[in-house]
Amino acid sequence: MSALVVEGLRRDHGAHTAVSGLSFAVAPGELYGLVGPDGAGKSTTIGCLAGLMRPSAGSVRVLGEDPMARGSHARERLGLMPQEYSLYGDLTIAENLRFFGQLFGLPRRAFDERRARLLGITRLARFEDRRADALSGGMYKKLALACALLHRPDVLLLDEPTNGVDPVSRRELWALVHELVGEGMAVLLSTPYMDEAARCHRVGLMHEGHLIAEGEPGALTDALEHEVFELEGGEREVLHAVLTADPDVVAASPAGERLRVVVAPGAGARLAASLAAHGTTLRRVPPDFEDLFLARVAA
Amino acid sequence: MRRFVVRVWALSAKEVRHVLRDPRSLYLALGMPVVMLLLFGYGVSFDLDRLPVAFVDHDHSAASRALRRRFTAGDDFVDVGELDADGAQAALVAGDAMAVIVIERGFERHRARGERATVQVLVDGSEANGATQLRAKAERMLALLGVDGAIRASGAGAPLEARTWTRFNPEGKSAVFLVPGITAYVLAIVAVLLTALTVAREWERGSMAQLFATPVGRLEIIVGKLLPYLAIGTLAVLLVLAVGMWVFDVPFRGSPAALALLSFLFLAGMLGQGLLISVITRSQMVATQAAALSSMLPSMLLSGFVFPIENMPQVLQWITVVIPARYFVEGLRGVLLRGNGLAELWPELLALSVFALVALGVSTARFQRTIA
Repeated sequence: MSALVVEGLRRDHGAHTAVSGLSFAVAPGELYGLVGPDGAGKSTTIGCLAGLMRPSAGSVRVLGEDPMARGSHARERLGLMPQEYSLYGDLTIAENLRFFGQLFGLPRRAFDERRARLLGITRLARFEDRRADALSGGMYKKLALACALLHRPDVLLLDEPTNGVDPVSRRELWALVHELVGEGMAVLLSTPYMDEAARCHRVGLMHEGHLIAEGEPGALTDALEHEVFELEGGEREVLHAVLTADPDVVAASPAGERLRVVVAPGAGARLAASLAAHGTTLRRVPPDFEDLFLARVAA
Repeated sequence: MRRFVVRVWALSAKEVRHVLRDPRSLYLALGMPVVMLLLFGYGVSFDLDRLPVAFVDHDHSAASRALRRRFTAGDDFVDVGELDADGAQAALVAGDAMAVIVIERGFERHRARGERATVQVLVDGSEANGATQLRAKAERMLALLGVDGAIRASGAGAPLEARTWTRFNPEGKSAVFLVPGITAYVLAIVAVLLTALTVAREWERGSMAQLFATPVGRLEIIVGKLLPYLAIGTLAVLLVLAVGMWVFDVPFRGSPAALALLSFLFLAGMLGQGLLISVITRSQMVATQAAALSSMLPSMLLSGFVFPIENMPQVLQWITVVIPARYFVEGLRGVLLRGNGLAELWPELLALSVFALVALGVSTARFQRTIA
């Protein structure tokens, strides 16, 4: 059975529809990534799953239950790490942990044990008496994750956990998430960073409230029919003019010294010929997730 | 049940930490009430003394001079001099004198014969409260001196002697009368404002989302949030009353149980009002303004603290019926000054209970476990 099920979800904020026609499921032991730019509807989806927002249409199920229903046990088995700073800044690390431990009704011994373990994994033990306000972005996120993990949830919702986090802490966070998934937890994670999609088992690509692609990240990029090239040589400004004028060019972005270009299926050869005149050579490269996103959005 | 207690305890303990770590809210809760009590107690006094009085003496006798001397011997009046009739009028107009005492010719002769000796008192009525007090004081003084003041309608025949005793606050001190009002005023602000702020802060800072994602129930959140402020409010009541009794000699003649119940019910209502404001506004900024307006104005203007309710226009009197501060002020005056107990104060207690139940009930119903 799926740990998380979203079916035909729509959520309106006033006149604005944040999410519409969204369906996906996450199995236990699976790491599912909702990937998309800001405003794609990721946080709204997570808010509905956490029981913080009522769906305007469709349904969400957490471990088979409606998280908004009276007497639902979903919340006791769900961990949430919101995107915003949502812990208490004037409380210390230890006090924040203790507070959430009490809300989840953890017995003293179990709490002490888990607190020690989580502080160890997140390497926050040394800072136990520091106020949450005084933590760096990475440390803060690790504390938020620790608070969300205290009650050993079966389902974990992480809303942009790596946003504003330094690379070292980011790697630590990913390692921890993979460990949790390995233990059988179902994890739904959102991120605006396309390069993080590859770290997930499965990915849902979100754009303007819709899922525009879904699947294993490798399979998704492999299946992309668009061609991706790196351009070398030629004058930047001339190239720019040619590329923006060409209807088959889906996207062009600088990649170091080179220019990375996503081209409509089958249009590569023609583009190579037209660019040769400007002294530019094309080298085909395997598409990455960003290319996939750009190609799908353009479609 | 055990879980309920643990969660409420966790929320309350957290709230106490917030307050202890934020000196401003601690000052607001405990410092401000005392400061305001002292300011009001010393500053807002309706007691008048050393009132400037001028004399117009048409009699020029030993008796008239004795009257003038004795009239101004105490602290109530200051002699600003003897003037002629025109000068006295000018002094009144210029504000140099608040009253002019006119002693008629033949004053000494009338007194010697045991007849009614009359003096005229002209009072500057432009400041109503001052004029009323001055009249009362002048009448009292003249009665003491055995003289009829023309300001009082004199009965025919033998002089009618009227004696008045003021009960419960014999010296007529403002502070004794004001302390209950100030207590209500200050408590209303503190309780409504602090509650509105603390709940709105959780919305604004996003921690409400984190709370809602845990199994904690909304009743647990509400009780856990309000309990500490009930305790702080109780502390503020005790502090204000202690200062009132110590500094302003406010008596405590009634039942402590009635006082406890009055304060509890009033605080519960104010906490409910604060909660309702924060649930509706969800923003600290708006909540502050709404809380200040909705607590300060009614408890100041419509509670009978400063202006007696009986003197208000009928429409305002009707409005005061739903102002909880009115019942609290009335109840406090009853307990402190009149020595009332539960038996006399049940209407006030009932009214406060109704307000508390409605405020808490409506805000609990409006408190949705959703963030948008």
